[in-house]
Amino acid sequence: MRFKTLLLLLCLLLPQFALADGPPKKPNYPEGVSSISPGSELWGAVRQRDGVLLDGVSQVRGVDAGILINEQGYRWARFRVSELTLYSAWALAGVLVLIFLIYVIRGKVGIEGGLSGNMVRRFSDYERIVHWVLAIVFLFLALSGLILLLGRPLLIPLFGKEVFSLMASASKEGHNLVGPLFLVSLLMMIFSFVRRNIYEKGDLTWLLKGGGFIGKDHVSGGFFNMGEKTWYWMVILIGLVISVSGLILVMPIFGQGRIIMEIAHVIHVIGALALIVVSIGHMYMGSIGTEGTLEGMKTGYVDINWADAHHDRWGRECHEKDLIVSAEEYARLVGKPSVDEADGRETT
Amino acid sequence: MIANLIDGPLWYFSLAVFSLGVLWQLVSIIFASRKPDLSVARGAAGPAALKTVFSRFLPHREIRPQVGIQYIAGYLFHLGLFALLFFAAPHVVFLEENLLGFGWTTMPHWAFIVSAQAAFFGLIILWLRRMVNPVSRLISTTDDHVAAILTFVVMLTGCLALLEGFEALRLLHRFTVELWLIYFPFSALMHTFTFIPSRAFTGAWFGRRGVDA
Repeated sequence: MRFKTLLLLLCLLLPQFALADGPPKKPNYPEGVSSISPGSELWGAVRQRDGVLLDGVSQVRGVDAGILINEQGYRWARFRVSELTLYSAWALAGVLVLIFLIYVIRGKVGIEGGLSGNMVRRFSDYERIVHWVLAIVFLFLALSGLILLLGRPLLIPLFGKEVFSLMASASKEGHNLVGPLFLVSLLMMIFSFVRRNIYEKGDLTWLLKGGGFIGKDHVSGGFFNMGEKTWYWMVILIGLVISVSGLILVMPIFGQGRIIMEIAHVIHVIGALALIVVSIGHMYMGSIGTEGTLEGMKTGYVDINWADAHHDRWGRECHEKDLIVSAEEYARLVGKPSVDEADGRETT
Repeated sequence: MIANLIDGPLWYFSLAVFSLGVLWQLVSIIFASRKPDLSVARGAAGPAALKTVFSRFLPHREIRPQVGIQYIAGYLFHLGLFALLFFAAPHVVFLEENLLGFGWTTMPHWAFIVSAQAAFFGLIILWLRRMVNPVSRLISTTDDHVAAILTFVVMLTGCLALLEGFEALRLLHRFTVELWLIYFPFSALMHTFTFIPSRAFTGAWFGRRGVDA
């Protein structure tokens, strides 16, 4: 290997000497070929065409410093620019179309009997802070990450190269800076919600009935149903994978070579994309997809009819423990104006 | 044209509004007419004022569980922002070249990043608590939200311009700083200068009446 590197350097610096030496003595030239370029064999080795990684010697100290050309890097770059970008765009477009179709076909999932106005406490202030801080950080990272991933084919035609380069620079700096906050938010999420997201009896039934999409029967659920628990574990597990791979990328100071960085990048993108795609469904179900759900994360309270309809086992517990508060009491607790039905007078 | 405006007249205008506005507010507070306190003093006002200035740095034990996150986030944000403002290399160089004529030791890049992360995290949590806690939400004014969002935008544009490779990003950051400086004296941001006198005043008032709070 050292000989090849030395020879390469000689060829680059002193080509006339190399040429004067004549072609390398290679016994199995193709028939009819009396001489080949003296650089071709070296170049083939440098480009690792025989599959052997050429690790030479350099005065530069650092990981991969002896590699003249990172052939694997070319393959990674081609994969990132062609397949990864393309499939990511298709996945995002697909989920948006799917959500739209669900909304058109199924519409907003209502509550049988409508909302009662009587509420029950679902989330504490701290739990909602944890949820929203993770959501804000995630959305920022998703947006800046998508600009970096899809910006070249999607944004350059719209804004031009100059504006895109500015956007890409801002996104990269913002993404790298805010990234570690995702891990901190994730740890807060683990400690705040893990106890209620452990799978229990009855969760499998929820899954087999497709969360109510399959059949007309009501699907029983506890404080969190199977779908919500699965989303939670997706966020935690994939989130940890994204965080670790992100830290490998943003802090190349622990001796990780290019190949590790390239693998980390692919894992980072695929993991992030999986979370983004499912989070779109989560956002839909938590807002316009289901009546009364968003209230839980806005005020911490949900309608008792909502609890009975979607989380009947938890709803029953609320009835038994007498945790239900009236509409007036709820308005007072959350500091909302409440309309007195008797005379229409607004009170707080 | 816009670059000249942001780097020139708007910068001096915002600096003038900030300086004169803060001065005017502080002078107004100092010389505000107050009714003389004719009651018989039950305790010393001075020591109580001093004690309150420092005791408020930690929450009362009774309310610690309710406000703990607010204190932690508050420290993260304020210490992070202070470090960014006065020890980030680009800021020190800017102050040296444009305002003071002298500089000081700057913090290393990793400390800059950690400070920015702490400040961001703290500010987001503080604003979220303001939104999710019913009492905090009720007593919050539009000014509180504008002040928080404007500060966030200033920090964000600063971080987006971290590479220092794009003139447009630098100008955007500087422009938001100028808006922030103009807004500062007339808003809740004035607590930067008033929180210590305010604590001292409250402490003195309580101390004179013999209240240990």
